[in-house]
Amino acid sequence: MKGNLFPNLTTIAIIGISLLIFSSFSLIAFNLTSLLKIWEDKFEVIAFLKRGTSLNEVEGVLKQIRQLDGVETVNYISPFDAMAFMEARLGKQKNLLEGIQPAILPASVEIRLTKDYWGQTKIEDVVSHLKRVSQIEEIQYGQEWIEAFSVLVYLVRLTQWILGGLLLAAIIFIVSNTLQLTISSRREEIEAMQMVGANPAFIQVPFYLEGLIQGLLGAGMAMGLLYLLYQVVLVMITPLMKGWMAGIPILFLPWETILWMLSGGTVFGLFGSFVASMRFLRYVG
Amino acid sequence: MIQMFSVSKTYPSQITAFSDFYLEVGAGEFVFITGPSGSGRSSLLRILFGAEKPSSGEVIVNGIRLTQPGFKKAYQVRKMMGIISPDFKLLKDCNVRENISFVLEVMGYPPKAIKEKVYQALILMGLQEREKDSILSLSAGEQQRVAIGRALVKDPALILADEPTSILDDEMTGRVMTIFSELQQKGTTIVFATQDTHLIQRYPHRTISLVAKREGGAEGNGEVRSEG
Repeated sequence: MKGNLFPNLTTIAIIGISLLIFSSFSLIAFNLTSLLKIWEDKFEVIAFLKRGTSLNEVEGVLKQIRQLDGVETVNYISPFDAMAFMEARLGKQKNLLEGIQPAILPASVEIRLTKDYWGQTKIEDVVSHLKRVSQIEEIQYGQEWIEAFSVLVYLVRLTQWILGGLLLAAIIFIVSNTLQLTISSRREEIEAMQMVGANPAFIQVPFYLEGLIQGLLGAGMAMGLLYLLYQVVLVMITPLMKGWMAGIPILFLPWETILWMLSGGTVFGLFGSFVASMRFLRYVG
Repeated sequence: MIQMFSVSKTYPSQITAFSDFYLEVGAGEFVFITGPSGSGRSSLLRILFGAEKPSSGEVIVNGIRLTQPGFKKAYQVRKMMGIISPDFKLLKDCNVRENISFVLEVMGYPPKAIKEKVYQALILMGLQEREKDSILSLSAGEQQRVAIGRALVKDPALILADEPTSILDDEMTGRVMTIFSELQQKGTTIVFATQDTHLIQRYPHRTISLVAKREGGAEGNGEVRSEG
C-alpha cells in the first residue's frame, strides 16, 4: 500500500460507510424481529366477563373455552388479580389507585392459542365462538396490529436486501476502481516484474491481499461505527422510552451476524481486486 | 534459438509495423536489429518476449511456440531471457541493489547466491559505489547501466536489448559491447536493437535492417534486409 495511502484509505472509508448503512438496516430489522417475537410470544385473546358473573358461571365459561379448537391455555384473572397486576405495573405510583375498589375492574379470561391458530381467519373463528358465550362482554386481541408490524419488519428486511445489493455492487465497483488506480500507478513495477519472468500469481497475489485487507478493514470500521451509534442511541433513547418499551431491550447484532459482515466485506474486497486485476494485469502470459 | 515465420504485426490503428517477416537466430549468435523510428524494432523485440502477439505468423523461442493458441506461459520463456527496455522499467521506490536482486528473488535464488551474483553485476556495470542509492538519484546513463545489470545478473541464455547503449558515453558503451561479446563467446544469444549505425560499423555482427513502413507519407509493407 506504500505510496497509495490516500486511495486505499478512501476505499476503506467507502466500504465502511456502505457496510454501515447495510448493517444499520440489519440492526433495525434484527430488533424489530426480536420485538415481534416477544409480542408474538405474549399474544393472547382476552375475554372480559360481564360484572356480576358468579364463580359457578366462570367455571362453565372456562370449560366452554377450553373445548374450543386452537385453545392452548386458559387463565382466569379475577378483579383482585387485575388490581394486583395494575399495582405492580404502576410501581411507586400505585397510590394513584387509592380508593379504587377491585370490584370495579372486570374479571377476564386470558386465552393463549396454539401457533397454528395465529392467522387472522382462525383467530376470528375462535372469537366468533367466544362471542356466543353470554357471560362474555368484550373481546380484545392485537392480531391486526401484529400483522401490520410483521409487514413493517418484512419491508425493512426487503429494503435492507435491496439497498444491500446496491451497496455491495458499489463496493465491488469502488474497490475495483481504486485498485485499478493503484495498479496503474504501479504499472512500471508490474511490467518490471513481468519482464523478468515473474509468475502471474506472484504479481497478482499482493493486489488480492490488498483488496482483502481493504474489505476487512472497511467491514471492521462499519461494525465499530455501528456499535458506537448503537451506544449513542441506547444512551439517548432508553430513558425517554423506558416506560413505553416496558423492559424490551434494544439489542446489538449477534456475533454470528458480525462475523458474516466481516467475512462479507473481506470477500467483496477480494472480488473487487480480482475484477481490477482481470482488467489490468492481462499482459500476455 | 529464435525462429519467426511470415510474422506480421498490424496495430488496431491499422498501422503495420512489419509484414511477412522471417528471422532465424541460432544459439550463441549476435544480431543487430536496426532501422529508423517506426520500423518496428521495439515491436519485434516485444513479440520475442511475449509482451505482444503478432497479427499472424509463427514465433518460436528456445523451442517454445509463443504463437500457439491460448498460450499463457510466456513468463516461463522470459525467465531464460535478459530483457533491456529503452525506458529501463526500474523500480522507482527501490535502490540500485534491490533493483538488481529482485530478479533473482523472483526466480527463487537462495539469499547467499543473490548477494554474490548482485555484487558481481554491480562490479561489472561499475555501480558498486552506488548500490544503496535510490534509482531516482541516478543519472539516465546510470539507470541504463542498472537495467543492463539487471538483465545480465541471471545469466540469461538470450539477451533482448532495445537501445541498451542509447545514452551511455563512449567508454561505457565500449564496456557494454565487450561484456556482450564475451557473453556471446560463452554461448549467449544476443538480439540488439539500435538506430546507431556507428555502433553497428564499429562492432560488426549480422544486421537485420527494418525499413519504415511510412516513408514520405506513402504506405507500404515493412522490408527486411540482412547483412552478414
